[in-house]
Amino acid sequence: MKTFEYTAAESIMHASEQLSRWSGSASILAGGTDLLIALRHANGSSPKCLIDISRIPELRGITLKGDTVTIRPLTVHAELEKSSCICLHAPFLSRAASMIGSPQIRNRGTVGGNIMNAATCADTVPPLIALGAGISLKSVRGTRRMPLEQLFTAPYATTAATDEILEEIVFPVLPTGATSAFIKLGRRNALSIARLSIAAVLEFDSGGKIKDARIVPGAAFPTWRRMSEAEHLLRGEIPSTKLFEDAGKAVAAAMISETGMRWSTAYKEPVLVTLVTRALQECECCRRKEQFER
Amino acid sequence: MKITVSINRKQYKTDVMPNRTLLDFLREDLGLLGTKCGCEIGECGACTVLLDGKAVNACLILVPQIDGREILTVEGLSLENVLHPLQEAFLDHNAAHCGFCTPGVLLSAKALLDENPTPSEYEIRAAIAGNLCRCTGYTQIIEAIEDAAQRQQLGSQRENSLREGRTKR
Repeated sequence: MKTFEYTAAESIMHASEQLSRWSGSASILAGGTDLLIALRHANGSSPKCLIDISRIPELRGITLKGDTVTIRPLTVHAELEKSSCICLHAPFLSRAASMIGSPQIRNRGTVGGNIMNAATCADTVPPLIALGAGISLKSVRGTRRMPLEQLFTAPYATTAATDEILEEIVFPVLPTGATSAFIKLGRRNALSIARLSIAAVLEFDSGGKIKDARIVPGAAFPTWRRMSEAEHLLRGEIPSTKLFEDAGKAVAAAMISETGMRWSTAYKEPVLVTLVTRALQECECCRRKEQFER
Repeated sequence: MKITVSINRKQYKTDVMPNRTLLDFLREDLGLLGTKCGCEIGECGACTVLLDGKAVNACLILVPQIDGREILTVEGLSLENVLHPLQEAFLDHNAAHCGFCTPGVLLSAKALLDENPTPSEYEIRAAIAGNLCRCTGYTQIIEAIEDAAQRQQLGSQRENSLREGRTKR
């Protein structure tokens, strides 16, 4: 590992000042689970300074106020997985966090790092976008707020300036009568990188018809977005396997129209259809279960 | 930079380069060779240690990050030459084959039992999912952890009854 300077930031402002002083040649250190691997393999472009934000108290914790959940970026995946607030109000986010890496990685890796690293396989991002999460970026110049999906420009690229720090992630709780699912396809169970994933929310009316749908695939597009074509197909309909498959086909068609036919398309297309179908079936199963328990 | 850290219940004050990992610090600076260096990308779990009681990969932590924290390595698992119930159970179940993954597995198992003294087989499997054993002796490892959990339960029951006996008298 090359040599670098190290600064433990005491506050967001301190971190932002340091980052602007190093103008792009410093990196932020939070959990370090991605950064340390990059530092060890760095050839040429390694940072001159690490700004350690992991001891800033205002960047920790999960809070629920009214109908709004706030997750601070130093929350580690293990906390997200076990948080009663997340399990109750955004269960598919807890599920996604539980499938990241290994217990050791989940004890260190942070949700803020997962977002800001902007890898297409980041597992917390599809559920957060499906939840309609907004973020705020803070620097000495002020605070910017935006919907999470507007942060990303390309794989591993964001609109955040070099002196901006992710301050919080905010989303409304899922409405009553809504169920959610997260399905991930990896090459094995532990320590797997998502080849494809699906975050889905279905909201039902009292008669069991689909009132609203949200579908966000992971690792299928260069950046993330809601699948408005497929969601439109589902609204107002009675749940059925045929309907869910049609939604899956709409998602696969959107993927192909954006990324083109690749060598992997022959595999990814049918698999994406299946994952969407399964995720929606899981939402429907949850609804039936909740109805039965009521 | 100067750091103060507790390793295996012993305080260390030392001056280190910030670009050192906890793994290199333990093995090369302190000579604690029980923690193994496997993949150095956080996938094999051979370097698992406890940081403030949580299982972590020592290869993914920089030394400045342990300032003021508590580290437990496999060398600190036994107390005054008395083996930890996990170590006893691993011996009895032949749960170590080549032994390279064993220190890491022991610490993942300790983190589990400290949080959940009566884990199910599934919970044990999930807790050691970040530790690769390429001799594939997982069955013995799982049996040993189940056994260690029972030994700890029996041990604490015995302690409780002794304590109750003492207070009655």
